[in-house]
Amino acid sequence: MPAKTVIFKRSKKWEGELDKCIRCGYCYELCPLFKSYNWESDTPRGKMLLIYGMITGKIKPTQEIVDKIFECFYCKNCVDNCSAKVPITDILTDARADLINAGFEVQGTIIQIDEDLCSICGVCVSLCKYDALKIVDIGKDKKKIEVDKIECRGCGLCMAACPSEAISQKEGCNVTLPELHERVKEILRQEDKKLLVFVCNWSVFPDMQLSENETFIKTPHGIIVSMCSGRVAPELVLDAFEEGAWGVMVTGCPPEECDHNGNYKARRRLILLKNVLKGLNIDPNRLKLGWFSTGESAKLQQSIDEFAKELEKMGPIETYAKK
Amino acid sequence: MKKIDAEKLKKIVGPENVSNNLSDLYVYSGDASIHQSMPQIIVRPKTIEQVQKILRYANKNKIPVVPRGAGSGTSGHAVPIDGGIVLDMKRMNHIIEIVPEDMLVRVEPGVVDDDLNRALKKYGMFYPPAPASSRIATIGGEVAANASGVRSVKYGATRDYVLGLKVVLADGSLVNLGSNTKVHSAGYQLERLIVGSEGTLGVVVEATIRIVPLPKFRCLGIANFNDLKDAGNAISEIVASGSQPSLLELMDGIGIVAVNKALDLGLLEVAAIVLFEADGNVKEAVDFEIYKMKGICEKHNGFNIETSYDVKERQRIFSGRKKLFASLSKYKEGIVCTDLADDMGVPNSKIAVTAAKIHEIAKRNNVIMAVYGHCGSGVIHTKIMLDPKKKSQWKDAEKVIEELYDYVHAVGGVTSAEHGIGLSKAPPWKKARKDILPMMRAIKKALDPNNILNPHKLMDAPDNWLKATDLRYRVGN
Repeated sequence: MPAKTVIFKRSKKWEGELDKCIRCGYCYELCPLFKSYNWESDTPRGKMLLIYGMITGKIKPTQEIVDKIFECFYCKNCVDNCSAKVPITDILTDARADLINAGFEVQGTIIQIDEDLCSICGVCVSLCKYDALKIVDIGKDKKKIEVDKIECRGCGLCMAACPSEAISQKEGCNVTLPELHERVKEILRQEDKKLLVFVCNWSVFPDMQLSENETFIKTPHGIIVSMCSGRVAPELVLDAFEEGAWGVMVTGCPPEECDHNGNYKARRRLILLKNVLKGLNIDPNRLKLGWFSTGESAKLQQSIDEFAKELEKMGPIETYAKK
Repeated sequence: MKKIDAEKLKKIVGPENVSNNLSDLYVYSGDASIHQSMPQIIVRPKTIEQVQKILRYANKNKIPVVPRGAGSGTSGHAVPIDGGIVLDMKRMNHIIEIVPEDMLVRVEPGVVDDDLNRALKKYGMFYPPAPASSRIATIGGEVAANASGVRSVKYGATRDYVLGLKVVLADGSLVNLGSNTKVHSAGYQLERLIVGSEGTLGVVVEATIRIVPLPKFRCLGIANFNDLKDAGNAISEIVASGSQPSLLELMDGIGIVAVNKALDLGLLEVAAIVLFEADGNVKEAVDFEIYKMKGICEKHNGFNIETSYDVKERQRIFSGRKKLFASLSKYKEGIVCTDLADDMGVPNSKIAVTAAKIHEIAKRNNVIMAVYGHCGSGVIHTKIMLDPKKKSQWKDAEKVIEELYDYVHAVGGVTSAEHGIGLSKAPPWKKARKDILPMMRAIKKALDPNNILNPHKLMDAPDNWLKATDLRYRVGN
């Protein structure tokens, strides 16, 4: 495929800022993408290097480079960590706009809507904090939901809310909905796993480390890093009970601390879900919600242990008996 | 450049751990230095056997291999100047065992320094070298650079903690160097030969390192000075007085302005700050050290002196220093912080004069240089701040570097105290240490006859740092 000509209209202005980046790499300490894939090209520093290379003409954009540029959840841990105060995510957004305008295929963490499945109910539109979704007319009495690929931050809240399961994400650090369903099954089919904990990437996960170390968060229970508590779709919880879980815990950032308000959505969703559980004859106390800030891994650990003790008293759910 | 059989490497480590995509090659072409040169392929091993197989293949085919940790080096150690394979060691990141009763820990090379210290905290122990980059720096990289940091004044450098190393040599053979004991006398100290070898002699695949108990008390102080010379002299006197600081740092006015701008710290904008710390298990002993150091600062006109035992307060006082390096780019519009002339070491009595000399040389050559560092151990950090777009500024930098290192060597100092030689510091270092180069080359030849391990670094690096590789910046005319 011949190389595409890209005019870096929006991102060119950042060359000076990118010169200020001293490439110390401190930005990738808390990068969830780097933790998931471990390639330096997944780090904020890597992305900034690629953008610098492209706008200065040192390298020509290729599809692989574009794919890397479109992988980011905009958690902004990198921006907060940068002492040279390089506006990393602003630069990324501008580079994305230039690459989209040049006609590149973009996927990465940008959400995609399967039009065959979408009922155009608009739940996702009202939910998106970044105004990245809108209903557009595409002919007489025909509508569809359009994704603004520059504005989409890949937070994934719409995926969890979509009643038709029409929204997906190509790259999601193993937290796309189908991957999460798989993980739930995989964990609960292990004999000793009775409690499943969804932890939020932004709050407690960054506190987990780059190095493997058994001494950290010692728990015999299943832990799934769900990126944001707002991504934990109700059917994941039901799935867990059906697979024989004695209890499910969903954890997220404390109120006011979630960037996408995903924690509020999780709370609302789980309160409703508790009512559903009653109807299914499942004790609603088997579903627990907890708030933990970055660095509160000890508190999380304690909370998991206490919940496990309560569950031991309750025993298995008769209907789905996993003894 | 030699052709590399990617399929062979994929068989060794799995296809998902090999890449020759431009997106990866370009990212792995640089580190925190000014240099840039692309590898031909990146390989990410997970086991010792995989490293052995990769090296056997590379040695047979005479393909360069450049081991890489976090890529946070400042002198271009990890920049693959001859192409070849970059060996990304970050997947070998397992803390194998912590043995508090033997005061040691065994780790794989990709373990991150801060992670290790977080794990050790539970046992009341710590691993002290603490380079500023400890949040991402890997133990393997620290061993390769003989890294050290703010605590070196009391606790020393990486070399003082390495008891034993497992190293894969150029021909793929595995050797077990050193011991599990604090002292060990059996001929050549080969583990020490590897420390600081910058990836030129072998690939570190496991390290046994000494750990020490965390002190019960730490007290940090800060003193302001209206004259950089006074601050330098205070530090020299503290060290010479027999005080035992666990940290003794200098930061000049340029550094203070930069961190205030970048981090909004509200530090007093004076000519210099001295940070001093003492630690220990007996509070009275710590109090005594702090009292003594405070007195010396006052004697040299230090003012607004604050001290604190409180963790949060200590973090606040220290935050500016921890992030100074990156903040320097914020000092003035149009100039950026380049990693040049960054870590010379001078004898204790020469701190004040060297600091003044640095400012003088910078001014005369149209660049800005901040002076800071772990001056208690004689480490003076600087950075050359310049307009990278202007060709003339790079000429200025060349003049600064020549003049500055001639001065440092003349007062009995060293080219690099803690970041290593790599590419950018090789010319002045080679000029100053001509006598040891043949010995180093003989060792290199004996251990790596095909010259595949991180070739053309240290004693074999090009004689002109500016032309050694492409620069990471776009330089105009």
